[in-house]
Amino acid sequence: MRAPLSSRIVVYGFSALLAAVCLFPFLWMIVSSLKELRELYTIPPSWIPQNPTLSNYATVLFSSNIPRYFLNSVVISLGSTALSLALAIFASYGFARFRFRGKAAAQSFVLVGQLLPTAAIIVPLFVTLRWLDLVNTYLGLILVYMIITLPLSVWMLTSYFKAIPVELEEAAIIDGASRMGVLFRITLPLSLPGLVAVTVYAFVTTWNEFIFALCFATDSSVKTLPIGLAEFTTEFNTDWGAVMAASMIMTLPVALLFLSMQRLFIGGLMAGATKG
Amino acid sequence: MGTVTIDQVRKAYGTLEVLHGVNVNIADGEFVVLVGPSGCGKSTLLRMIAGLEEITSGTISVGGRVVNDLRPKERDIAMVFQSYALYPHMTVAENMGFSLKLARADKAERQRRVAEAARILGLESLLDRRPGQLSGGQRQRVAMGRSIVRDPAVFLFDEPLSNLDAKLRVQMRSEIKALHQRLGTTTVYVTHDQIEAMTMADRIVVMHGGRVEQIGTPLDLYDRPANIFVATFIGSPAMNILEGRISGGRFIAADGSEVDLGGRGATERGHVLLGVRPEHLVPGPGGLPAQIITVEPTGSETHVTARLGGQDVVGAFRERITGRPGDVLSLRPHPAALHLFDADTGERLEA
Ligand SMILES: Nc1ncnc2c1ncn2[C@@H]1O[C@H](COP(=O)(O)OP(=O)(O)OP(=O)(O)O)[C@@H](O)[C@H]1O
Ligand SMILES: [Mg+2]
Repeated sequence: MRAPLSSRIVVYGFSALLAAVCLFPFLWMIVSSLKELRELYTIPPSWIPQNPTLSNYATVLFSSNIPRYFLNSVVISLGSTALSLALAIFASYGFARFRFRGKAAAQSFVLVGQLLPTAAIIVPLFVTLRWLDLVNTYLGLILVYMIITLPLSVWMLTSYFKAIPVELEEAAIIDGASRMGVLFRITLPLSLPGLVAVTVYAFVTTWNEFIFALCFATDSSVKTLPIGLAEFTTEFNTDWGAVMAASMIMTLPVALLFLSMQRLFIGGLMAGATKG
Repeated sequence: MGTVTIDQVRKAYGTLEVLHGVNVNIADGEFVVLVGPSGCGKSTLLRMIAGLEEITSGTISVGGRVVNDLRPKERDIAMVFQSYALYPHMTVAENMGFSLKLARADKAERQRRVAEAARILGLESLLDRRPGQLSGGQRQRVAMGRSIVRDPAVFLFDEPLSNLDAKLRVQMRSEIKALHQRLGTTTVYVTHDQIEAMTMADRIVVMHGGRVEQIGTPLDLYDRPANIFVATFIGSPAMNILEGRISGGRFIAADGSEVDLGGRGATERGHVLLGVRPEHLVPGPGGLPAQIITVEPTGSETHVTARLGGQDVVGAFRERITGRPGDVLSLRPHPAALHLFDADTGERLEA
């Protein structure tokens, strides 16, 4: 069955418009990263670089701290994502499947953590990190980002787990699985789209975060990419070409992550479990 | 040995008690059906046997062993769920072999037993499919295959056919029955469909409001229901119940019509219920006048709803009734097939 031509045109039209709006900054970033510094300031701006150059990339890769910051970002983002995911899986499974005293309160508290404004928690976090001697360490930042991404991860996963029919788990228990066996052999494989969504959310949030990194990472051995971008701005001028090139480098892993995981976001895993 | 003994079992959710002391003894190899209206506690009882619900008090034994504190996998039972509960991310073969995999049976053994179960159920050609690619009846069979593979002492079924269409239900009914005859495994089967219960069971347990009303063979329950609940629950169309009293060896209905009790009812009683199954209303001279309300031919029988003794009754007749609504028939309750119940307690009255 095909929709009538007119409505298809409307759908395609709006989709194209939406894509254009979303992709414009990205496109401008690519174009700018290939321009010479002079050309960046020409008015009206040009769409095609007159002398395309990779010199901005050379600057970023060979005469800045960006490569080191990239490594820091990778370590910290992977670390906090893994930690957050592991904790969220167990917390969410508990919330989704067990009845216990204080469950509703516990769930609300998890969300309250998410609602506190950044500015309100920076100082307490800093004091805590100082006390634990974790300022300017990978572990310190990993823990901070875990705290930030955990609440929403728990909420997302809880609703995913709840959507899996309890009878599937009961069947597995009768088949001889332990609770852990049920979780790892039945519940998690069936929650793959949810796990992917949580992973991407936690990774991207950590990867792009600026304020906490600025406060808790003052040494170049732990600074992350967003801080690196800011460092191209000095008191008197900004190397926009380098900023754009560095932004490209920073965007690439996230774009790759999304593209590779895209297929898994789409559900359909539950087909055939029950009468459905 | 697959005996199941349920002794004084109670179940409470918080302060709400839903099973009030249930006793059932099931012999090895028996096919027992738990039947009753929605909410009577059949599933709860089955899930307690399976180990999915705590037993509040009383004991359940399987094969002579008290299983109250054993985990489901240690109880030597297998269960088929109403929704099939197949693992969607596994193939049919993986679904069936899952329990053996968990029990760390070796691969050759696993394959042999899965193949054997698949052969019994005619699933050989489907072993590599996923549940999503199967029809309802095929899914049902895979769910049974998953149980067979484990070779348990007891099979538990919770309304396994209620998601199938009428025709497939009849077919699966006889398949399950045939399977039971072939394997001889003790089976506890839950349904709210009394026809399913009648056709499949060696013995039926009728439950109502968290209590057992009666246990017996299908024909026992049909011919000698212990109380008014069982009398009206078993049989379709349901048994007719007339209110009245016993006087002089005869039943006197509310409007004064009299029914011969065929030598029963020696004692006078003020307030009784007379039960007559639809097929035990015999048309012919000398009966009570019954004014026809509706006539429903089913082909093999004709069901007639009529007004008799001041109440609506249903008759089921082998012969074709040509009467029209408003006509008056003469119907005589068959004296040897009458049931008397105490109107206050609902219990059956003998002789
Ligand atoms: N988790 C629970 N908490 C509280 N009450 C429950 C719970 N599970 C079941 N009940 C109650 O226990 C009673 C028996 O439920 P059960 O599921 O055994 O009924 P059933 O006979 O299987 O009915 P159906 O034919 O509808 O499946 C019902 O009144 C139900 O409301
Ligand atoms: Mg039920």
